[in-house]
Amino acid sequence: MNGIGLLGDVRVVDIAGEPAAYTGRMLADLGAEVVLVEPPRDSPARRTPPLVAGRSGEPVSAHFCYTAAGKRSVTIDLTAARGRELFHSLVHASDVLVTSAAVGEMEVLGLGYDDLHATHPRLVFTSVTPYGLTGPRRRWRGDDLLGWASSGAMPSIGDPDRAPLAPGGGLAHMTAALNAAMGTMAALMARDVGGDDGVGGGQLVDISVQEATMSVAMEVSPMVVLEGGFDQRRTGKRKEAGPIGHYATSDGAVSIVAFMPEHWRALAEWVREETGVEEITSDEFAGTPIARMHYAELLDTWIEGLTTRYTKRAFFEEAQRRGITVGPVNSASDVLDDAHLHATGGWSEYESPDVATLRVPTPPLHLDGRTASVGNVPHLGEHNHEVFVGLLGLTDDDLLALRAAGVI
Amino acid sequence: MLPLLGVRVLELGYGIAAPVAARNLAQFGADVIRVESARRPDSLRLGGAGWLPRDFDPSVRRDTLPSLNFSSAEKRSIGLEIDHEDGRAVFDRLVAASDVVITNISEHALVELDLGYDTMRALKRDIVHVTLPAFGSDGPYRMYRTWGHNLSAASGIDHLIGWPDRDPVQIGFAYPDFVSAQAATVAVLAALRRREQTGEGAHIEVWQYAMALACLGPAIVAAQVTGHAPTAIGNRSADRAPQGVYPSRGAERWIAITVQDDAMWDALCRVPGMESLAADTRFATLADRVAHHDDLDGELAAWTSVRTDWEAAAELQAFGVAASPLLDGWDLVADPQLAARDFFHALPHARFPRDLVFGQAVRLSETPPLAEHAAPALGEHSRDILRELVGLDDEAIDRLIDHGVVHVMERDDVVLERPYLHWLRKMQRLVPWGEPTFDPATEMMRRLAEREEPTG
Repeated sequence: MNGIGLLGDVRVVDIAGEPAAYTGRMLADLGAEVVLVEPPRDSPARRTPPLVAGRSGEPVSAHFCYTAAGKRSVTIDLTAARGRELFHSLVHASDVLVTSAAVGEMEVLGLGYDDLHATHPRLVFTSVTPYGLTGPRRRWRGDDLLGWASSGAMPSIGDPDRAPLAPGGGLAHMTAALNAAMGTMAALMARDVGGDDGVGGGQLVDISVQEATMSVAMEVSPMVVLEGGFDQRRTGKRKEAGPIGHYATSDGAVSIVAFMPEHWRALAEWVREETGVEEITSDEFAGTPIARMHYAELLDTWIEGLTTRYTKRAFFEEAQRRGITVGPVNSASDVLDDAHLHATGGWSEYESPDVATLRVPTPPLHLDGRTASVGNVPHLGEHNHEVFVGLLGLTDDDLLALRAAGVI
Repeated sequence: MLPLLGVRVLELGYGIAAPVAARNLAQFGADVIRVESARRPDSLRLGGAGWLPRDFDPSVRRDTLPSLNFSSAEKRSIGLEIDHEDGRAVFDRLVAASDVVITNISEHALVELDLGYDTMRALKRDIVHVTLPAFGSDGPYRMYRTWGHNLSAASGIDHLIGWPDRDPVQIGFAYPDFVSAQAATVAVLAALRRREQTGEGAHIEVWQYAMALACLGPAIVAAQVTGHAPTAIGNRSADRAPQGVYPSRGAERWIAITVQDDAMWDALCRVPGMESLAADTRFATLADRVAHHDDLDGELAAWTSVRTDWEAAAELQAFGVAASPLLDGWDLVADPQLAARDFFHALPHARFPRDLVFGQAVRLSETPPLAEHAAPALGEHSRDILRELVGLDDEAIDRLIDHGVVHVMERDDVVLERPYLHWLRKMQRLVPWGEPTFDPATEMMRRLAEREEPTG
């Protein structure tokens, strides 16, 4: 856990809301200096759901506690002209701006891509919006649920007798934020490395939540069209042929993926061994999932005859020992107890205002044997002095005046 | 000028995680060479297009699964058996000519095939070496096998999908694999930028289980602060109301609506047909709306169910309320928003005149990603690659083919066309696909005529 200093020479100005808050967090994990610019009062980022009770009893944003780790915080009122001047100076001293402002919002403030690019041609301007900055629906409002609705993925998720379901947990926005991180890095590469007739300058990175979410669900949406549109039946807990899906255990469920002939054989053998059901090992069911498709209900009953004898963790470990691809259906609390994470330095601890010390999964990137160090969550405006005086060259008196005027 | 022009990537990938990362790099301009075994092929090389007969020539079938376009568009393919001495010698030459080696083979296979960082670095000092182990290269689960579905379950993704009165359901697609591919792309770009500055390569691992968990950070924080895990609550939010999916006119047509704050609630109350909500004391405050969410859903459903999904969503958006129809695959292909942004392309493919390929969601204004060709046939570029990068002549190449060490694209006389192309042509405003040769009416008449004249 020595930290990953890949982007030590990069400074990011972060005014992103929920859809792209993770972009700055990821860049901070990689060693960039990420400066969160918040309003002097009532920062919406610190009210983003899910909300939990802080030590003082006030609601705290669990989303902010996670996505703001390792960022610095300054306060600027962008509705004030002097505030926008200050913002300009900060952007001038930076490489990247990340925003989730709606189409036109930045332009109204004189802070749009064209405005900033004119005086700062090396700036990478990364934007995340529900449908992108162009096209007939560019002004449509969105959120995480609507991101999933627009992605084509939902018709296949959930039970056939009810409405389609969106995944919870903000996962559409998460993938949009990851795309924004990819675009930011590609733009930095183009600026700093790209060839003889290299761009040399920055550019606009335009991420659509719709397109980003489609990109993780390609298997279930347009690809269906190219196969002649077999219906996107909602698959609930299990697919029709497999077995692929959830099976009950004594304390919850496991996910079994045993459609490959050798995995099926191992699973069938195990069912026979422990529950005495002989027929499951019959050639009738052996081979590819096609052989099992018409017997799904029967086979599922036999499989659950085995799985319900175990807890989900015990079944997972024994199945893996037998070479069968299985995972427990874990809740966030189960994850907090995960043995593998505990054994591999898989938790990173840091401080966040108004909550006890937090631990989150260590970021997934290992570079030359090192992992990212997750930094603390900043207090509101904690780095005003460091950034305005230390970086931008204002004086302490300037700071006092700006504070008195409510600009910072 | 593309971000990765002049960079060469060698990919030994299966399924999604490594291949999709490599595809991103190809779309950003890298020369990506996909090393493909025919003996132990990528799962996406098994099966093939669903409309091909079961006994269709497998050496052609293996190039037809549509999913190959999202895993491998813009790449070159060499068919190569690297567990054979001569194949390994070729592979090592390719490594020496590459900047990046990326693979998602298991930890077990990595060791067995000796493809770890130290071995690769001995061939190319400044190589950027990328692996995507499921549970990492260390710890009690490191040899465990997974597909995306198991990681979705283990990481807690599945647990957050479902109705409050029922068990969770599976997400059903490989979300963990895709986000791992995205993280790997970011890491490779950052490592290449560092290499330009310092000359050093990099040893990169993206632990896929950790990446799936990273996506659920807020839920994990919430669970530890409150002492209990968040659970699935259908399409609702714990903090916003109304929010949900409502039926609209037609079979299986739905609209998603989220009222994000009080201002948006006031906007909703101004929508024609919704005016009665404003005075309804059941819904006066956010707390009221949460408490009476079932009643409120009933009011909204009464309004949506007499409108089509597009009508309802457009009207709500016009008043500033966030809403969207629930789109399916066909809706996406016909979506004017995606067409305006040229998200879909009809690109040349060795087996089809043209094929439908997704664009890259990452849009760059000055250095836009490539959209030049669909996924390669297996071994489509074997000869070129062996001549160009390994210096072999045709005789030497033929010998390797005879010994089954190298594979080339076979039966290049066979040209296919996806049967649904004519529907897509009508729905899509694209670069011209070319005239379809398959006409369903003619095909149907032919089959009927055959049935009336039984043979044998």
